[in-house]
Amino acid sequence: MTRQTTAPLFAPDPVVAEAAERAFADLARRYHEHRGGNETAAREKLLAAVEELGFAEALAAADDREGWAQAAPILRAQARAAAPIDMAWLLATGERAAAIAYDPDCYDAGAGLLPAREGARIALALGRLQQIGAAMEAALALTLRYVQERKQFGRPLAQFQAIQHSLAVAAEEVAATNAAADGALACAATEGIAAARLAFLLDAAALVAGRGVEVVRDACHQAHGAIGFTREYALARHSLDLLRWRDNLFALRGGELACAERLGDRALAAGGLWRTVTAAMTAGGSHD
Amino acid sequence: MRLRFPVHALPPEAERLRAEVREFIAQELAAGLWKPGGDFASHYDPAFSRRLAARGWIGMTWPRRYGGAERTMLERFVVTEELLAAGAPVAAHWIADRQSGPLLLRYGSESQRREFLPRIARGEIFFSIGMSEPDAGSDLAAVRTRATKVAGGWQLTGRKVWTTFAHLNHYAIVLARTGDAGESRHAGLSQFIVDLKAPNVEVRPIVNMAGAHEFNEVVFDGTFVPEDRLVGEPGNGWTQVTSELAFERSGPERYLSSLQLAEAALACARERPSPRLREALGRMAARLAALRAMSIAIAAELQAGEMPNVEAALVKDLGNAFEREVIAVCRALAAELPRQTAEFTTALAQTTLYAPSWTLRGGTREILRSIVARGLGLR
Repeated sequence: MTRQTTAPLFAPDPVVAEAAERAFADLARRYHEHRGGNETAAREKLLAAVEELGFAEALAAADDREGWAQAAPILRAQARAAAPIDMAWLLATGERAAAIAYDPDCYDAGAGLLPAREGARIALALGRLQQIGAAMEAALALTLRYVQERKQFGRPLAQFQAIQHSLAVAAEEVAATNAAADGALACAATEGIAAARLAFLLDAAALVAGRGVEVVRDACHQAHGAIGFTREYALARHSLDLLRWRDNLFALRGGELACAERLGDRALAAGGLWRTVTAAMTAGGSHD
Repeated sequence: MRLRFPVHALPPEAERLRAEVREFIAQELAAGLWKPGGDFASHYDPAFSRRLAARGWIGMTWPRRYGGAERTMLERFVVTEELLAAGAPVAAHWIADRQSGPLLLRYGSESQRREFLPRIARGEIFFSIGMSEPDAGSDLAAVRTRATKVAGGWQLTGRKVWTTFAHLNHYAIVLARTGDAGESRHAGLSQFIVDLKAPNVEVRPIVNMAGAHEFNEVVFDGTFVPEDRLVGEPGNGWTQVTSELAFERSGPERYLSSLQLAEAALACARERPSPRLREALGRMAARLAALRAMSIAIAAELQAGEMPNVEAALVKDLGNAFEREVIAVCRALAAELPRQTAEFTTALAQTTLYAPSWTLRGGTREILRSIVARGLGLR
């Protein structure tokens, strides 16, 4: 076999990733420690800190490979830390209004904010996918720690095969969601958000993420038992983030069924699933 | 373990190769040489394998001196996925190309490579896997087939089961006990290239639930195996059989087994698709794209010389689940298809019959999930 290798199409900037992970973990910790009582003030502090760190500018500038390589790890760090500051919204609009701070305890099953411009909706959907993948990772990591500490029937939950397999399936959904999310992001980063095949990749990624959110939340809550269903335990933040970002993602794409039907229509028009999928996944190719 | 794989685009040379493979398949179909159907493990056609070999598409990543074409893993990926998507009859050469050849390339002696690899690459000889036994399924370390040292070689005694196409193939790579199992139970195992037509080898058919004779029971009754047919070091068998699992578990054969059925459903409804069918096809396309992205990422890592075995187990489990979901969805939609072609009803029956085997072969769902769980640090 020849040893000729190919470089990944897209890779997050490791320096930004490290800085963002550290910063958002710190911000989230301080937010959750100090809120109790004056939540508005806590959120304002958070906003000010994000302004200072320069992450907001990086997101507003995400429109090419380098831009996205910085934006993606910032989004993921915020989601992983469950810092209640909606960094993805900055992809859609340069304004750094209070709109980006949100109440982490509130979930209303609404569509969330929808930008008017199509380009902004696409950028926001790409951001939501990154946030969802990272929030899934965080929920799963929390659960993996919990099942190794929590004992029932005289042994850690992690030793029960039913738990092992349930979390393995959740991990598979995380990997699938990340693969779909990153595939769409790589397309936007290398070909721009006007690329014909991006619509396919976004609809596909939304469907994969939508299912992933169901499976991952179910497995994580189930493994945690009642503690995971409390407001103060950290799973709740990731769980609610997953719901709000999933809902907003589908709203941005016109709904879950619309995503599926559009993909189905493409396959029908092209005369085959295989033809459609391979074309949409070919760099520089159109979808059919 | 990593739950985020790097995004790889297939390089332009691989995409050019795709066009060649599609053209080849179109010619084959136009000439009526075979009908699409079956999957990588059931659709057996030696003449097809030889035509494929003539194109340089068997053993295509191997060095030229062993009959290979020195193409990349990503080029091989494209050839295999196009053949599988088309329902081409790849079963004859599949194991030799995917598994036995690479094993010999990595662990075989120079004379074994020179003897077997060029013949595999020419589509002349086909291999079976001799691993499972009546008491050793998922628990492979429990194998009892024994090879005892005798003058000039080894004497093999034992029984292998589920040996696919042993009645048609030329050789099997047999895993046998040659020494003590040790504490780990993984010691004392060795691999041998066994001539399936040799004296004291009996191949008995095992007909599967679909009514086909693919499986066999292979009985070794003091079979003589020459010294130079031992693969690698004696006692190193466990390492050898488990070292290339990424290769066996991450490929498109793990998520394309029911694609023909989905394509047939699409063809039945192209003019008047119901909303539910449009939705179902869309969900399949989404799932397929994600699986394929992960499979390509692993192929790129294989090309770079890595062996991501845990990630491959993850892809196989997800892929097998997808293959089975497609059947359930197509069955539910069958009644509202505007028409049902023979291709659709045949594919529905075939996939329904074969589906239980998909989540067994190459590592059961339970084994795969346990591997992923270990990767997550749970065991």
